Amino acid sequence: MDLSVLLTFLIFGLPLIGFPFVIGIGYIKKNYSMYLGTSLIFLSFLISVYVFFTYTVKGIAILYNFNWLPSLPAVIPVGVYADNLSMIMALMVSFVGFLIILFSVGYMKEDPNRHVFFGEMVLFTSSMLGLVLASSLIMLFIFWELVGLCSYLLIGFWYYKPNAASAAKKAFIVTRVGDVFFIAGIGAAILYSSGGALSVAGLSSIHLVWQKTIVSLLLFGGAIGKSAQFPLHVWIPDAMEGPTTVSALIHAATMVTAGVYLIARTYSLFTPTSLTVVLYVGAFTIILSGLIGIVVNDIKRILAYSTISQIGYMVAALGLGLGATSIGLSIYQLEAHAFFKALLFLSAGSILHAILNVRDINKMGGLWKKMPITVTSMFIGALALSGFPLTAGFFSKDVIISTSYGVSILAWILLAIGGFLTALYSFRMFFRVALGKPRSNPAEHAHESSTIMLIPILILAVFSLIFGVFQGGFYTFLGGSPVSLSTMDIVPVVLMLGGMGLAYFAWGRNSTIPEKVANGARDFYLLVKNKFFIDAFFTNVIAERGILGLSAVSDGFERKAIEGLVDASGKLFQNSGKVLRKFQTGLARQYALIILIGLILALVLLRIFILTGVIH
Amino acid sequence: MIFQLSYLLLILVLVILASIIARGKVPRYLTILFSSIVFFFVVLNDMTLTKFDYGTLSILSLSFQLNFVSSVLLILVSFVGVFVALRYRSSPGFFILLQFLFFSLIGLFTSRDFIVFYIFWEMVLIPSFFVIGIWGGKNKNYAAMKFFIYTHVGSVFMLLAIFTMFFTEGASNFSMVTLTSGFRLVPAPYQAFVIFGFLFAFLIKLPTAPLHSWLPDAYVEAPSEGTVFISSLLSKMGAFGLLVIFTPIFLTSSFSGNSAVPIVIIALGIFSLIYSALVALYQKDLKRMMSYTSIGHMSFITIAVGGFLYLNGSNPLASQLLYYGAVFQLISHGIIIAMIFALVDTLEKAAGTRQIPSLGGLARKLPVLSFLILAAFLASVAIPGFSGFVGEISILLGAYAVLKYYLIFVLIGVVLTASYHVFALQRTIFGPYNEFLGNISAKREELIVSILPLALIFILGIYPALIFHIFNIQVIQFSGGIHP
Repeated sequence: MDLSVLLTFLIFGLPLIGFPFVIGIGYIKKNYSMYLGTSLIFLSFLISVYVFFTYTVKGIAILYNFNWLPSLPAVIPVGVYADNLSMIMALMVSFVGFLIILFSVGYMKEDPNRHVFFGEMVLFTSSMLGLVLASSLIMLFIFWELVGLCSYLLIGFWYYKPNAASAAKKAFIVTRVGDVFFIAGIGAAILYSSGGALSVAGLSSIHLVWQKTIVSLLLFGGAIGKSAQFPLHVWIPDAMEGPTTVSALIHAATMVTAGVYLIARTYSLFTPTSLTVVLYVGAFTIILSGLIGIVVNDIKRILAYSTISQIGYMVAALGLGLGATSIGLSIYQLEAHAFFKALLFLSAGSILHAILNVRDINKMGGLWKKMPITVTSMFIGALALSGFPLTAGFFSKDVIISTSYGVSILAWILLAIGGFLTALYSFRMFFRVALGKPRSNPAEHAHESSTIMLIPILILAVFSLIFGVFQGGFYTFLGGSPVSLSTMDIVPVVLMLGGMGLAYFAWGRNSTIPEKVANGARDFYLLVKNKFFIDAFFTNVIAERGILGLSAVSDGFERKAIEGLVDASGKLFQNSGKVLRKFQTGLARQYALIILIGLILALVLLRIFILTGVIH
Repeated sequence: MIFQLSYLLLILVLVILASIIARGKVPRYLTILFSSIVFFFVVLNDMTLTKFDYGTLSILSLSFQLNFVSSVLLILVSFVGVFVALRYRSSPGFFILLQFLFFSLIGLFTSRDFIVFYIFWEMVLIPSFFVIGIWGGKNKNYAAMKFFIYTHVGSVFMLLAIFTMFFTEGASNFSMVTLTSGFRLVPAPYQAFVIFGFLFAFLIKLPTAPLHSWLPDAYVEAPSEGTVFISSLLSKMGAFGLLVIFTPIFLTSSFSGNSAVPIVIIALGIFSLIYSALVALYQKDLKRMMSYTSIGHMSFITIAVGGFLYLNGSNPLASQLLYYGAVFQLISHGIIIAMIFALVDTLEKAAGTRQIPSLGGLARKLPVLSFLILAAFLASVAIPGFSGFVGEISILLGAYAVLKYYLIFVLIGVVLTASYHVFALQRTIFGPYNEFLGNISAKREELIVSILPLALIFILGIYPALIFHIFNIQVIQFSGGIHP
């Protein structure tokens, strides 16, 4: 094992080994765990940078496998694999993760359990780093599950809130549904390649197209759960019950990007059939969540639906099926999104910190004057999110929309409408937050946050603005062809400006347009407002009626039928004992009669047996 | 170096006698000694295949064998011994019965003669029966009788199956090797009966739904220390039977290429998994819920054995994953379920109740206990890093080769299992604190002892090779499911 491998291990190993110490040191002094946690992730980032510039840039891919279960003849490889794709992910995860944890130092400084919080954040980031650097599907799955576990723990961090406990449970179960598809996908990969495809480098050992389709669709099932695509997106809006920094980490750097990364990593398995599924699941999710984002009032939930929608772009980009170019488009969108979504969440966190966690945007307003730095950063985030020219989102998203034109007109239409919706909901949120007069008491007393919270916000704001310059190099770095601007890019820009303008007319000033529209299209409004009844369907129909109903039936069956049957057979023997006891009369004459009857019966039976040939 | 089994049994008899003579705390400490001796016995025999032949006694062949499944199970026995003795301050009588039970289990897991095996199989019932019947809860008599009679019904069929093998083969003794290898020549109807008899006995003991109804009563009514060893060890008898005794018999029989029996076994396993999860979801008593967890975990072994028999060696990789996954699941489930039941007991003592609706938000008042319960539950859900993951993922991955699309049913079971665990966590340790509980605290020493299983769960989860090293040599000798 040479230095490069060791360093790659350290990228995720250092915080992974360090996280118990982060919690442990908190028992000495709680603030120590904040410093230790932050520095661990910072070290990871430094190592990533070193590995990136020493090896990856020079075209050296680091691969090291060992057998997870030695002494079994079956070889189950686990280890690290650091190529361009994984390293660019690792850089982003550690960098954005570091900024978010730095922000948490200010944000969580009064929480009595902050040592646990920082321990879990460190574990979360290191699991995600392990996930992107994994060399085999098993290893990837191990970290995939750890990421899910951390999200469960962190969403439920304020466990005493009933909503948080319930949201954590929902997140765990819904992503678990995705995870089992992943398991089935690994099982299928093992079967169809005799184990060769376990290693990420050996995925090409599955040859037949139908086998590839099965494996890729199963893996995509896992990705849907983690990346919150339709129909398994329901956990993410509820997950907003956790601390805002957790949401930032889940949405920007870890967790939801894991699914996209999984597809990119196993891209060689995706056949045209499965790519079509991927494309339309992504495109459909964009429209669905974009529509919901317009009617939600909770600032964090608006951001949550925007994440679902932006992840939809990444998934759709992969579904375009352009090989390495698709991966480039998708991962570039992923990284740009990581910056501006982290920015938006952190500025939202900064606002919530200032206004006592009132999350309803109708109760904000006029914050631009009260918190100029935070809200200006949020403005940059909103611009980048909706793809305003020359911001990061413009370079990442509009290219996806334009490229899709060459693949499928339907997809192009959906993606372009999605761009319009994105501008609409992000500026609806922004105008409601920033403009007008404060609409509640906490909003009137808002004040700018502390410096330690502003530093990460400003860094992210800068990245959201300038990340576009990397575009061309990024695509070629991931092996794709550079995509340049074309006249097609005008369409999304026009739509985006239209959405922004519409948002200003509807929500940037006093206006009755939203009510009129809502009343005019009442049925459609209610449909969207109720999130297309998908949540209600899962919770009320499947979980409460279906599973709990079945469970009640099973419990009844258990008690009445199975226990009843066992008890009844017990009773049968007891009662037959009671009946037979009556024959024990003690009268010799009766016994003699019974013996006689028995003898005759025996002889008759013997005769019958001989006649029928049973006994010779 | 070989540590003779005869010496071991002799030493253990002496320890049991010493426990009977001694009073007070001594039997408790002797249990720890007992367990350590068992542990050293396994370790000194290199944890590999060791045979012990002591000739024949009339029609019995006194041959014993320490193979990799029994090595794993003996280590589990010694773990349970140490854990129960450290965790519970029960009466001396309990520890004497416990040692007697361990003695029987050691005989059971090592014997290579059907009658000796059967004798030990029955001997195990006696201490368990008394533990439930003497120290049990308010329904103890019912539970003890049900447990005894129900598992005995299975044993009767096993005995009949053994005699059928013996007489139809015209063998001179009951040696497993002879009877198993000659089994192919037996007429098919008798073979079918033998397969049914063994399967029936082992599936009851495992238990597999719908043959499980002795289990919830026995687990709930038994005292906590009883539940720990019954859940951790007695279910392993059925699993051991399936893996080491039933598998070779089936694979030598003329039914070996036939897929009907394996499919039935797999179907029972899947049914058991889903059914136990559904019933568990509805339970209000935490201890009762966890006894269904035990059924769910063991159904993975049923699925693995069924899949292994179905493949019949045709896919070596999947076969290995299934078989070794099942063996790993044995020890992992043994540790996890012991920890869970011990924690449920601590919780019951602290809060005064184990009814889920009466709990809530315990993380506030009992942070350490809540952390331990959370960890144990996550281990039970098979989160990576905990030992439960290794066995379950191996079985699931191997099962794909057998089940293909039908794997969806197993996966539904996995999701349901996760659901009721998380649902129970939400209602017990998370959420707002139930103020009716007042100011409660857990016993410190009980919590400290629970770190032992937790550490083992972590170590095995992070470095499963520790257990897989035991398989070192046997892997090659283990061909086609037959132990030489």
